[in-house]
Amino acid sequence: MARISGVDLPKNKKVLYGLQYIYGIGHHTSADILSKAKIDPNRKISDLTEEDVAEIRAVLTSEYKVEGALRSEVQQNVKRLMDIGSYRGIRHRKGLPARGQRTRTNSRTRKGKRKTVAGKKKTPTKK
Amino acid sequence: MPRSVKKGPYIHYKLAARIKQLNDTNQKKIIKTWSRASVITPDFVGHTIAVHNGNKMIPIFITENMVGHKLGEFSPTRIFRGHPGTKAEKAAKAG
Repeated sequence: MARISGVDLPKNKKVLYGLQYIYGIGHHTSADILSKAKIDPNRKISDLTEEDVAEIRAVLTSEYKVEGALRSEVQQNVKRLMDIGSYRGIRHRKGLPARGQRTRTNSRTRKGKRKTVAGKKKTPTKK
Repeated sequence: MPRSVKKGPYIHYKLAARIKQLNDTNQKKIIKTWSRASVITPDFVGHTIAVHNGNKMIPIFITENMVGHKLGEFSPTRIFRGHPGTKAEKAAKAG
């Protein structure tokens, strides 16, 4: 089984899609890495030789930030916003959307599960 | 779409002049401004700027991290005082 930057790649998938199991790699980046490593994206991960994996690993580590490093970078950016007390930082602190989306309805991804408020009886259809 | 790089960052001309004047004379004074759309440039660092939020002036001390943001981002225009329902609960708990 191929293991790249701390993630086990699923061996029954094509390389193009298997690489996307790594945090920070999507379709575009995956295709880019494979073209640079000169590996056919349609090959299965189980068919890759050790050299192929090493080639992918070399391209990936030299050009992309993935997994832990990327996560910490994102976290740092958010922390910076919070520390300087900007509007976006305040929204992050409150766990609300930071880019001006509506919050009267929706934005459940940021707000989490609905918390029913007692005494709010109007509009019984909406909850 | 972002602003054209050719134009450079927007700063209200009077604000820029005030900053320049204070920097030239090495003074630190609170500058009042209504120009929330002005971008903070490196010249601003170390100054305190009072930015209007529609109601009053909010003094902001500019640090290096704030460069590139706009003044209005640091002067919130809305006050969230809690939802009506939760307020009643809080009052009941307190009293």
